[in-house]
Amino acid sequence: MPRAKGGFKTRRRRKKVLEMAKGFYSGRSRLFRIATEAVDTAMGHSYKHRKEKKREFRALWIVRINAAAREKGITYSQLMSGLKKSDIGLNRKVLADMAANDPQTFGQLVDSVKQKLAS
Amino acid sequence: MKTRFARKDEIERKWYVVDASDLVLGRLATKIATYLRGKHKAIFTPNVDTGDFIVVINAEKVRLTGKKIDQKVYYRHSNYPGGLKEETARRLLERKPERVMESAVWGMLPKNRLGRQMIKKLKVYSGPEHPHMAQQPETLSIQ
Repeated sequence: MPRAKGGFKTRRRRKKVLEMAKGFYSGRSRLFRIATEAVDTAMGHSYKHRKEKKREFRALWIVRINAAAREKGITYSQLMSGLKKSDIGLNRKVLADMAANDPQTFGQLVDSVKQKLAS
Repeated sequence: MKTRFARKDEIERKWYVVDASDLVLGRLATKIATYLRGKHKAIFTPNVDTGDFIVVINAEKVRLTGKKIDQKVYYRHSNYPGGLKEETARRLLERKPERVMESAVWGMLPKNRLGRQMIKKLKVYSGPEHPHMAQQPETLSIQ
């Protein structure tokens, strides 16, 4: 007796994988077995990259804050130490945004930190 | 709040001019590389060229510390068999003084398409003259 190979559940399962493999190169988007591997790999990568995204953004903010701080005559590490001493709890994301979009406020912040460090 | 990225059309580029006389080659090159990359700006974006233009004058008067003037060797290859040429810094400074500065800065830029685009903003000239007066370059101070 012939075996049923294209039943409802089977089709749904395969379709799900093939949907996720859309846009992949050649057989990786068309052949179920190869697409399964490709999708597994892709999922693993996107998991990893979601974690890495947080580190990359933090690194970028630090570069930007450093650039703006040096323009005001203070280094990044001095600024951060001063902020901690003056109990200012702004995070790097906000600081970087301030440095680019509101340089005046950022300048005031740097000045207050400088005073704190001098005392 | 989202982190903003620089767009190509909103980048303000300045022109700077540096007098290289009696400045140490590598120390000047780090500063130039920072400005070409745009890492001195609060809008720095890794995938966009946010840097400024740099004009270097008096490139032949740059200083090399120690015995590097005779010991530092520049290599290049003509792609023919046995085509490796070598040249000391002293000879290269006499023959093509601009190339010493260019190669020092290029060594500090990313080696990709963006880096190749950035190096084009560096203009090196021997002697005190440069043809970029129309851009009204500011003098860049080096501490």
